[in-house]
Amino acid sequence: MDDEERKVHEGFMREAIKMAELALVSDETPVGCVFVHDGVIIGRGMNETNRTLNGTRHAEFVALAGILSKHPISILKETDLYVTVEPCVMCASMLRQYGIRKVYFGCWNERFGGTGGVLNIHSDPSVDKPYPVHGGIFREEAILLLRKFYVQENEKAPEPKQKRTRELKTEINPMDVHAPKSMKSEAEKAKMKAEKVQVNGTANRTVTT
Amino acid sequence: MVSLRGGDETLTSAFAHLDLVPRKGRLVPLRTKDEVRASLETYQAYVVELPSKYAGVIKDAIQRALPDLKTADFQHLRRVVQFKFLPPHLQQQFKSPRGDTEPALDDAEAEDESAVRYFLVSPTSAIQHADLLATLRKSPPFTNRPPRIFYVTVPALAPTSAEQAEKWTNQFWPIAYKNTNPYGPHPSLVSRNTAEIEADAGHLLALTQSAANQTSEKGLGEQVGCVVVDNSNGRQEIIALAGDCRWRSPLGEAEPKEGQGNVMAHAVQRAIAIVAKKRLRAAGKDELILDRTLFCDTPLTDLEAQVFEVDNIARNGYLCVDLDIYVTHEPCVMCSMAILHSRFKRCIFGTRMPFTGGLTADPVKGRVGENVHVEKGLGHGIFWRPSELNWKLLAWEWKDEDAADEGMITNSISDTLQA
Repeated sequence: MDDEERKVHEGFMREAIKMAELALVSDETPVGCVFVHDGVIIGRGMNETNRTLNGTRHAEFVALAGILSKHPISILKETDLYVTVEPCVMCASMLRQYGIRKVYFGCWNERFGGTGGVLNIHSDPSVDKPYPVHGGIFREEAILLLRKFYVQENEKAPEPKQKRTRELKTEINPMDVHAPKSMKSEAEKAKMKAEKVQVNGTANRTVTT
Repeated sequence: MVSLRGGDETLTSAFAHLDLVPRKGRLVPLRTKDEVRASLETYQAYVVELPSKYAGVIKDAIQRALPDLKTADFQHLRRVVQFKFLPPHLQQQFKSPRGDTEPALDDAEAEDESAVRYFLVSPTSAIQHADLLATLRKSPPFTNRPPRIFYVTVPALAPTSAEQAEKWTNQFWPIAYKNTNPYGPHPSLVSRNTAEIEADAGHLLALTQSAANQTSEKGLGEQVGCVVVDNSNGRQEIIALAGDCRWRSPLGEAEPKEGQGNVMAHAVQRAIAIVAKKRLRAAGKDELILDRTLFCDTPLTDLEAQVFEVDNIARNGYLCVDLDIYVTHEPCVMCSMAILHSRFKRCIFGTRMPFTGGLTADPVKGRVGENVHVEKGLGHGIFWRPSELNWKLLAWEWKDEDAADEGMITNSISDTLQA
């Protein structure tokens, strides 16, 4: 990839990061994406799992719901996706069924990534055409965003719970809900680092995964 | 019709009008990815023939010679076995050939077949044959006559059920089954859950078909449908019901069937979205928040609407925790993962999808021609991969009473559809 080309991809990934930042201020897991057709952004999306109470409302779904209300599905065959975190297994399969042309992403998702992080849904045997992927564009920034999210969650957390009550895991931590998109491994490490930055005693919520 | 226990009365009467004919058959628990792997791996091991009273002596001698040998790795294999408990092919192999001039066990004990034992030494990878022989020759009873050493093939990993242990005992070597399953859900967990759902599964699968029929008759989708059930705490509530809507245009009309259609409107995706909407409503929030037509997550048929209108979702619930999902077909990879993301408790599907299903780990046997047999499946086993994915659940496929052992597998839409 030459310099010129790289700049183009970074430009679109920058736009995806903006969507992830928007998610962060909306209390959603900071994952954002844009779909690009003929050099033009035709749709944007961010994770909306918290507000919809729906664990499948990932950035890619949200963006496609917008795009397909204006364009025929066939446009996706000439469209590329830029997403801050590797598509999960679900989104990877959806993108393949729609016939996406190529996927560019920021950081890997070793918890449920579908394009190399855990499974290879983009290239494994299937009735649908495979698609190429390219990861690592602004990887650190994508991780940093996730880290910020965990810090934010920690700051909002109530007073530290006693160990005894904390072990009672009937109540599911909101983190877990929205986690669908990103986390573990790189994301998980980000979380752990985020927790470390906390002054002793303020990192009061252990995120269960 | 079968009545739904403790469910909403309006719904019970709505379903009565459907004249559902429950499917006759049984539930078969799916095998996990690791179970499939475990059932395929074998290795070669040494077996030595010895008089029973020397078993302890030889065991100690082997332990001294191979201090690093981890016997825990083959605890599922019986270490010392009598001739009569060997599988037939090994009895054949171990039997001394007639007129044998080899100085085999010529003690008095050796004449008594019951005193002869077959000792499983180790995997062949642990020691060279020559070294094993040298080690044995240093210990009685082999100080003055050579031992008979055999090679046997054994399963590498522990069995995951009593049936498998029995099968392997006949096929390989006597197996000990410890009533555990390191590669999947514990057998007692599976049988307890099967018992909880089997009485109504045929009926609920018939209901998924009604859901499928209602959208496909309108030309909105394929014949795929699903039902979400709360079958916990003695309740049985139908929480959501949805048919496939992949051919529904953004304007709500039936579209020509080209390509894969609107993938996000698969029945499973719609049902999950409808559950979320019920949760929003139960929490007093706007159920239309961030709504988009393309998701098709509002009821689109009479049946869907009847189910959606009932406020029967448990308060303070989270996503689809504690809920079960019934689907006409094995869900595609996207829908399988959506089921995982939503934290469902159990999934039951009516028909395997050999080219597209995401839940099953083992291939399905079938015929592609009159006498051409194949095994087909993607092998993802998404329902139970706890070390790699973020959730696990129990899953079953339905086997109709009159189903053939090997069905035809074709390239027709019925097998290649992304359900």
